[in-house]
Amino acid sequence: MGRWLARRVVQAALTLAVAATLAFVLMRVAPGDPLARLAMDQPISPQQIALLRTRYGLDQPLLKQYTAFVGGALHGDFGVSIAYGRPVTALIAERLPATLILGGTVLLINFTLGLWLGVRQAVKRGRAADHLIGVLSQTGYAVPSFWLGLVLAWLVGIRWQLLPAGGMHSPLMDPTSTLLHQAADLLEHLILPALTLSIVSIAAAIRYQRTAMLDALSLPFILTARAKGLRERQIVWRHAWRNALFPVLTLFGLWLPVLVTGSVFVEDVFAWPGLGSLAAGAVAARDYPVLMGTTTLVAVIVVLASLLIDGLYALLDPRIRWA
Amino acid sequence: MPRWTLGAVVLATGLIAVTGRLAAQGDRASIVILTGQEPTLPVPTLMVGPAANVANADVAAQLFLRLADPGPELKLIGDDGFVPRLARSWERRDSLTLVFHLDPRARWHDGKPVTARDVVFTFDRARDSTIDPTVAEQLRHIREVRAQGDRDVVFTFDHAYPGQFYDATFYVQPLPAHLLADLPRDSLARSRYVRAPIGDGPYRWGRQVAGQFLELDANHDFFLGAPAIHRVIFLLAGSQSARINLLLSGDADALANIIPPLSNIQRVGADHRLQLVPFPSQTVGYVVFNFRDPDDSSRPNPILSDSVVRQALVLALDRKAMVEAAYGSYSKVPVGPVSPMLWISRLGLSPANQDTARARALLASRGWTDHNGDGVLDRGGHPLALSINYPSSSSVRRQMALQMQEQYRRLGIQLEVRALDPPVWGELRNRGKFDLDFSSLSQDPSPSGMLQSWGCASIGANNVGSYCDPVFDSLVTAALADRDHAPDLWRRALRRVEADAPAIFMYAPVFVAAVDRRFDRTPLTPYSPWQSIWRWRLRRGAGR
Repeated sequence: MGRWLARRVVQAALTLAVAATLAFVLMRVAPGDPLARLAMDQPISPQQIALLRTRYGLDQPLLKQYTAFVGGALHGDFGVSIAYGRPVTALIAERLPATLILGGTVLLINFTLGLWLGVRQAVKRGRAADHLIGVLSQTGYAVPSFWLGLVLAWLVGIRWQLLPAGGMHSPLMDPTSTLLHQAADLLEHLILPALTLSIVSIAAAIRYQRTAMLDALSLPFILTARAKGLRERQIVWRHAWRNALFPVLTLFGLWLPVLVTGSVFVEDVFAWPGLGSLAAGAVAARDYPVLMGTTTLVAVIVVLASLLIDGLYALLDPRIRWA
Repeated sequence: MPRWTLGAVVLATGLIAVTGRLAAQGDRASIVILTGQEPTLPVPTLMVGPAANVANADVAAQLFLRLADPGPELKLIGDDGFVPRLARSWERRDSLTLVFHLDPRARWHDGKPVTARDVVFTFDRARDSTIDPTVAEQLRHIREVRAQGDRDVVFTFDHAYPGQFYDATFYVQPLPAHLLADLPRDSLARSRYVRAPIGDGPYRWGRQVAGQFLELDANHDFFLGAPAIHRVIFLLAGSQSARINLLLSGDADALANIIPPLSNIQRVGADHRLQLVPFPSQTVGYVVFNFRDPDDSSRPNPILSDSVVRQALVLALDRKAMVEAAYGSYSKVPVGPVSPMLWISRLGLSPANQDTARARALLASRGWTDHNGDGVLDRGGHPLALSINYPSSSSVRRQMALQMQEQYRRLGIQLEVRALDPPVWGELRNRGKFDLDFSSLSQDPSPSGMLQSWGCASIGANNVGSYCDPVFDSLVTAALADRDHAPDLWRRALRRVEADAPAIFMYAPVFVAAVDRRFDRTPLTPYSPWQSIWRWRLRRGAGR
């Protein structure tokens, strides 16, 4: 296991280095000057532009900029955001909790409710429940998230005024209020964006789980279990479901990075202060330091997720060895 | 998953959410203002480059006072037309010397009195071109700022001109020298001070939740009168749709600028809780002609350097209809590069109307006719083909560019419309790589900056089209120097620029703000809409 881990860590480091270098080069090769937008709607002196170019190191040769980036990144320093004028690590640290809360909730919903629905579909194969869940989940999958977000915000937030139409916390809430009140405030802001993201993404979990369950339910040991007179619930959840978890585990690994950046539109619609909107804004503004910071973070998550899933496979399936 | 588990989760979620809703309710005396940008550095002399944005300016306007504010007329020539703020009064010693007497009641939020030393310290920073070259350039005519005792500040200028008072008061709000004078000059932006700035304005720093909101609390000891609104909260929502949703759901109370399409204004206007408040904007939108060849800037533009062709391109368009389609009644076609906020927008001039027959005749007079019958005008075998660049983020400019394309097509002019990512658009614009560029400019309340974008001296800087007319320059210079004849000189300058057509001046919008009806408000200030919020009062019974 030690050798396996060492090899994987080296691979991960290489992957990270390649990803970060590619991101750096592609961003600099892409057209667009991060400082040009400053003169978009107000006169600004060329001296000012030159001063800022020096301040952000944009006047340096590309190789020097790259070595500065690598040197900083190794110490966890991605420089200062051009748009915000603040350290990128601080910006990411501020936005990451919001992203993890939203993404984590969606992941939780999809991998509890989604898996349960997938199992139900498989168990009820060919019956009305199977068709109904299939149609509903596919419909959700087909709906664009920003459109659904706008509709939910209008219906629930504006028309019925049941939940806030956006934001993560109520700015009117007393900061000294109890933890329960603060948690409740967060929850009511979380419901609509989490629901929007879940509706459009839960279909994948349901489909994966349904297919895997159908495969598992058709295996001979299930027939044996039935012949032995085990209760259906035991057969489904204890025997079939455990064997049907592996494909879903792969899906889980693929979704972890999406958790960080996959909610750009929903963050936008609900003014949710996450990393997705920070990264999207950085692309639009060519805010290189923020772009490099968020890209590196996503690369790290991808690599870690891949490591985690490989490890889990080996732990859960005795047929897979640390090899 | 048993059904009761699902039911219990839904019920618990609902109950907790309702608890949160109740906990965050109430507080009529707070106002939640929506903002599209995060205030990152709302500190005078630091609102530079990327930090020179509306969000920072709006917050700084609550935290810091100017010596004097522009009055409601915004006719900012001479020493009249300003209202006292930090300065209780002022006097002119001679044509080069202006003395401000500070209000002895003025206090910083930490209780220390505001002194002449604070003003001198701040102007010393502001005039340092290594800190902010743009503001240093705006203050270039101030030769010296010195304290005379604790309460008097003496400004000396390098020559006599009517904009002295404006220069001395508008660009810089004083900072507390007693807190900042010992800091190295270039370290203020990274200091602890900027995390919770101490100002002298009607509101003091409350708290900031990064990426979400910034809260300011009323300064009950404010020497010009305690604000009736106890809290001002700037709530961040990056997209226009999110801002409108938050406004209509009652999660926010005010929004400064409802951006077209018009249906946005109609949606907000239909909500009886909200009042629509139009106010003149600082914005003017125009299509710049490139006087230089985009492929070789040492050569004149083969088509657009001809003023007759440019005039024809202006006359070919029905600008009034285009503006009405985008803004309804909330904009007009400007005369020259003049936003509705500027006093020179009220000189009684009218823009030229569409005249396609004359446009066609003007083009024909320069040899542009359809020689080969393909529907496109040509000369010497070259078609009259142009392109227009605009930032893809602007829906108004997209709409108008497409209308231009169609109107030009009917006249036999080919116009290629190029939507560009804003940084790409900006880069091409600054490098002069365009035929026509659809720009939008946010102007200062004084027309004194006119030559920054249209003067011969600013070619290579903000004058991206390389327009140069010494007569226009001298008329503007004379208008800025001669208070008595300023209206007439401005009239002549604007007529001159209209005739020369360095650009197609397209729109000068009125911004439409929305404010909850529970506030008994004063008029919104064009250059800083929420500046006078400390004078607002609450209506009995209305709202939250």
